[in-house]
Amino acid sequence: MAAEEQEEEVRMEVEAVRAFYGDDCEIIREFPPHLHVHITPNTAENSSQQFVEVVLGILCDAQQYPQKPPHLHIVDSKGLDENREKHLITSIENKSQELSSCSMIIKLCQEAVELLTGMNHPEGNCPFCLHPLLVEDQSGNSPPFMKLMSCYHCFHSECIIRWWQWLQDDRKQCDSVIASAGIQKEMKQQQHNCPVCRKLFDAKDIEHILDYAGTNSLQENAAEEMDADERKLLESESEKNRRQKFESLLQLQQENSGLIEPRKEIVVLPGMYLPAPVVPASTAIDSAVEQQLDSASTASEAPDLNIPSNKATTSKHRDMNTRRKNRYHNSRRQQQNVYSNRRQWVKKEMAPSEH
Amino acid sequence: MTSSSSLSRKALSKIACNRLQKELVEWQVNPPTGFKHKVTDNLQRWVIEVVGAPGTLYAGETYQLQVDFPEHYPMEAPQVIFLHPAPLHPHIYSNGHICLDILYDSWSPAMTVSSVCISILSMLSSSTVKQRPADNDRYVKNCRNGRSPKETRWWFHDDKV
Repeated sequence: MAAEEQEEEVRMEVEAVRAFYGDDCEIIREFPPHLHVHITPNTAENSSQQFVEVVLGILCDAQQYPQKPPHLHIVDSKGLDENREKHLITSIENKSQELSSCSMIIKLCQEAVELLTGMNHPEGNCPFCLHPLLVEDQSGNSPPFMKLMSCYHCFHSECIIRWWQWLQDDRKQCDSVIASAGIQKEMKQQQHNCPVCRKLFDAKDIEHILDYAGTNSLQENAAEEMDADERKLLESESEKNRRQKFESLLQLQQENSGLIEPRKEIVVLPGMYLPAPVVPASTAIDSAVEQQLDSASTASEAPDLNIPSNKATTSKHRDMNTRRKNRYHNSRRQQQNVYSNRRQWVKKEMAPSEH
Repeated sequence: MTSSSSLSRKALSKIACNRLQKELVEWQVNPPTGFKHKVTDNLQRWVIEVVGAPGTLYAGETYQLQVDFPEHYPMEAPQVIFLHPAPLHPHIYSNGHICLDILYDSWSPAMTVSSVCISILSMLSSSTVKQRPADNDRYVKNCRNGRSPKETRWWFHDDKV
């Protein structure tokens, strides 16, 4: 009878674990309990702040649980090296010794959450440069790093972008070799593997970093082509801006059935109404428009007029900044391109070696 | 293959230099078991002594690995060959070239000299027979012009040894 009671108790405990962890708890076997519990640190709601997770295997002995603690093992983990996995398991095992003969599964899982929360940071070196990901002393700013979402392996952003760039260049060369050989290009999906574990990852993981780091200039387009494109884009955009501003002014004037004189304190600069990329001038326009809008008593319509022109100018400012940056990068890119072209040339020469 | 021997003769890039210095320091602190780096002042070419693991066909035998680093290491794989005499092994040609995927197609910049050495030792250790690859003569003849193994289009057919 005692055994039956005990079994009933254990089954209830498993039920409680299931209720508590929901989808994070996979019940391999009801009795004797065998569970896989997906454990994440406390901070896991914010995925960008999560660097570790584990699937903890809990295997209880039929007769002896909870007198004898369950066997614990790591089914799967992300962001944990061997040492940290070992530390995690040993610490939970110690806890299980303390809790001996109590219902302990949830408590053990909670312990694992606590431990993981303490470990929730990338550890070790960047696999590319072998320098630590996180600099120990607080004074030094550690360089930005990123993680691949599929495996939580972390890299310095700069290092992984360099590698990514290398892959793109390499691929282009392969493509050109294939093309020059007159072979139909395969439509194979480009697959990306983590350099550490070879797990497939989504290119978005890195593209996101490219955006974040403002290194869009690393894109593949030949530098000159990009410059021409950019210029075109710049022109069309500022053209649009100008038109927008003009239209809003015109509309204002129509509403007020007449011309609006610019306020006296506003200095009209030459080229102020031209698409010249002079930043202060365009802000001046903005304020001019705003003030004119203020003077115009059509309050309800004012924001409609104001917002688009405002938006357009701010986005233009930003564009110009990045463009300036890009141009700087471009000159460097150009050198790289020259170099990679040369390398490509060498490679073609060497390509038809077969064994 | 997308590499050429001319690359290995180019001077190391700054990034490659930094990375290799880091690897060298790490090696000095914690060298892989069974390996000894022969100290030279040439960062771009390492000569490493390897001793066959106890309990394997190569137990106690000493061989020398020559590792040449390309300009863009670790984006590009190093060139790793055995210096003469190369161990008798189904994947090692008599000219020292090693048929091992991680040295070519499967290279990843997250690998290090140390991890490559361990892979090579593991390849040696798992061998059950001391013999040359079946196509040894043909391959070695093809390489007489000093071709780098990195230019070979390797066909990795056997993942057991």
